Amino acid sequence: MSARGLTAGQPSRIMVVSCPELRDPDQDAEAARRHERVIAIVTGFCPDVEVVERGMCAFGVRGPARYYGGEQTLAARVTAAVADLGVRSRAGVADGLFAALLAARGRDPVTVIPSPGTARFLAAQPVSVLADQDLAGQDLVALLCRLGLRTLGDFAALPVHDVASRFGHAGERAHRLARGLDSRPLAACPPPADLSVAREFDPPEPRAGPVVFAAKALAERMHDGLAARGLTCVRVQVLATWADGRESSRRWRHDGLLSAAAVADRVRWQLDGWRPAPIDRGAHDDHCAEGGVTLLRLAPDQMVRAAGQQLALWGEAVPGDRVARAAMRVQAMLGHEAVLRPVLGGGRNVSDQVTPTPFGDRREPRLAAGRPWPGRVRGAAPGLVFPAARAAEVTDGSGQVVTVSGRCELSAAPARLAVRGEPPRRVTGWAGPWPLHERWWDPAAVRRRARFQLVTDDGRAWLAVVQDGRWLVEAGYW
Amino acid sequence: MPHPYPAASAPACRGGGIPPVLPVLSALRGLLPRGGLVRGSVVAVTEFGLLCLALMAAASADGAWCAIAGIPEAGVLAAAGLGLDTERTLLVPAPGPAWPQVVASLLDGCELVLLRPPAPAPVQVRQRLEATLRRGRGVLLLAGDWPGAQVRLRVVTQRWTGLGDGHGRLRACCAEVAADGRGEAAVARTCRLWLPAQDGGIALADPADLPAGLPSGPPAGLPGTAPGLRAVSAG
Repeated sequence: MSARGLTAGQPSRIMVVSCPELRDPDQDAEAARRHERVIAIVTGFCPDVEVVERGMCAFGVRGPARYYGGEQTLAARVTAAVADLGVRSRAGVADGLFAALLAARGRDPVTVIPSPGTARFLAAQPVSVLADQDLAGQDLVALLCRLGLRTLGDFAALPVHDVASRFGHAGERAHRLARGLDSRPLAACPPPADLSVAREFDPPEPRAGPVVFAAKALAERMHDGLAARGLTCVRVQVLATWADGRESSRRWRHDGLLSAAAVADRVRWQLDGWRPAPIDRGAHDDHCAEGGVTLLRLAPDQMVRAAGQQLALWGEAVPGDRVARAAMRVQAMLGHEAVLRPVLGGGRNVSDQVTPTPFGDRREPRLAAGRPWPGRVRGAAPGLVFPAARAAEVTDGSGQVVTVSGRCELSAAPARLAVRGEPPRRVTGWAGPWPLHERWWDPAAVRRRARFQLVTDDGRAWLAVVQDGRWLVEAGYW
Repeated sequence: MPHPYPAASAPACRGGGIPPVLPVLSALRGLLPRGGLVRGSVVAVTEFGLLCLALMAAASADGAWCAIAGIPEAGVLAAAGLGLDTERTLLVPAPGPAWPQVVASLLDGCELVLLRPPAPAPVQVRQRLEATLRRGRGVLLLAGDWPGAQVRLRVVTQRWTGLGDGHGRLRACCAEVAADGRGEAAVARTCRLWLPAQDGGIALADPADLPAGLPSGPPAGLPGTAPGLRAVSAG
C-alpha cells in the first residue's frame, strides 16, 4: 500500500466513475466499444484502473487528486472528458469502494464525500443498497427491514459477534461494508501475465526423447517470455501428466542460470525418476511410464527482477557442472531432500554441530560456529553420529540400571552396556557424568541430560546420555 | 608431490593428465598397493568407521568431490577433522531400493563415493557398477562386503586411551589395521595406526611411544608391525 502513498490505518480514497447507460446487461457491440473507450479515457487520468463491472470503474484517487488540484476538480475533469465521447457519467469519491459506489449513484454528476463524513454518509443509506452487493442477498435485506433496521447506520450499530452468529459469513461481510470497512483493496494492477508454457501430446508420447526435445523448445519460449519482461525465476516447476492421469510435479532450482538444454535435462531426469529401475526391467528402454505423457508444462516460480549473477570471489566451492548434474539426477530419483551438503556449525551436542542442507539450497549452519558453546564434549569427534539416538541400557556390577540423581550423582559405576539389538558389552573404562541443561527458558525444548563416554571390551567407545531416566547412545567412536 | 587435480568438471578420461591414484593420508599409504586409491577400483572396508572417513580425507582436501551414500550416521565432524572438505561433500543418507542407479549417478559427478549398500548386491549389479567405475575415474569405497574388491581393509583390534575409571576423556585410539586383496594387493599387510591420534589426525603408531595403559607389544595372535612402516609422520 505504501506505493500509493498510504499509511497503515488510513482509509483509501476511491473514485468510482459510473456510466448508467452502458450498464445495460444486453447491449450491442457499439456499447461495448464505447465502454472500452471510457476506460481508456479514465486510464488517461490514472493508469491503475479496476473495472468493477460493465460501465463502472474505480481507481485510487489520492495521487491523481494531488496532481489535478483536488478531488472535486479531478472528478469534474473525468466526467467532462467522458461526456466528450457522448456518454453521460457520474463520479463519486469516498473512503473505500463501497461508499464510492454509493456516492456515484447520487443525483449530481460529481459527488465527493469528504473523508470524515463517509461514516455519516453510509449510516444514512437504506439497507436496500446492500442488495446490489452480490454478497448480501435479497433475503438479508428483507430480514433487516423486518427487524426494523432501516439504514446502514442501524445495522452498523449492532455488535459484530451478534451479527456473525445471527447472519453468518455473508451478514458479517455486509456488516463490514456498513461500517465502512471495505472487504478488499482495489485490484488495480494488471493481472500478472501467465508466463508458464505447456505442450500437449496427442496421441500420448510414450518415449522420453520427444518429450525432452519438446521441453527444450518450451524452455526457450519460457526464457523469452521472462526476458521480455526483464524477469528471471528462482525455480522452475516441471509438471508432466500421463495418460493414466498420474502427475509428476517437481520444482528445480533455476536462479536464471539454466539454459534451455539444462531445463530439458531436468525434465529428462524427472521422467527418468518415474521409470522403473533398469535392474528390474527387460529390454524396452526409452519408455517413460504406462500410457505416455499427455501434457508437459513448465511454470516459472518466484519471479524476480533479472539482475545478473555474481559469484563470490573467495571461499565458495561452486559445484562443477558434473557434480551438479549428478546431484540433481539423484534428487530427481529420490527427492530434493535426499541429497545433502553438510555445513559445520556450533552447538553442544554432536548431532547439532553438522547441519545437512539440501543440495542447491543456501548453506547456513543451524547454530553459529565460532562461539565457545560451553558444555560440549571436547576431544576426538565421534566417527559415527546416530541420526536418532539408540536406546540402550547401562547396568552396574549387580545388574541394576545405573541412575543419575538430580545432583548428578551416580548410583554405581557402569559395568555393562547393552545397546538395543546388540549383545551386551563389558565396560572397561568410563568418564562422566557431564551434565547439560539446555533451553531451560523454553518449556517445549528444555532438555536435561548427563553424558558419559564409555569404552567397552571390544575396543570401541561410545557417547551415552541419560535423559529422563533413560539411557541412549548418541555416537560411536570407532 | 601434490598434484593440482583438475576440478570435477574435467572430462572423464583415463591416463591423460590425471594421476592414476587418489591420494590418501600419509599414514595410510603403506596399506594400499600404490600408496593411494587406484582410480576405477573398489576398496572395501569390513565395517563403517573412522577408517572409511580417513581414506576419503586426503582426496577431498586435494580437491575431489566425495559422496557418502547409505550411511546416515557418518560423523561429518570427525571426517572434517581428518581433512575432509565439507564444501565438496554430498550426503545421500537413504539411497533407497534404486541404490545402484544412485551410486552410478554419484560416480558420474564425484571422484570418490563411500557406500554402504542397503541390501547385498547381486552379481549383475556389482558388475555393472564396476564397469561404470572403470569407464570413469572414480573410486568406490565400500563399507561392507564386496567380493570383487581390489583391496580389503579391516580394523583387527582397537584400543582407546585417555579414559580411566570415572575420569578422563577419550584422547586417542590405537588400531591395528589389516589389508589384503587381489592382484598387486594380494600380499597381506598390517599396520598400527593412531586412529585418531591425540591431535585429531591419523598417524602411524610406534610401539615405543605407546602411552601407559596400552600393551607395549602387539596383541597375541597377530603379526607384528610390518617393517618399513615404522616412520611416524602425521598426514
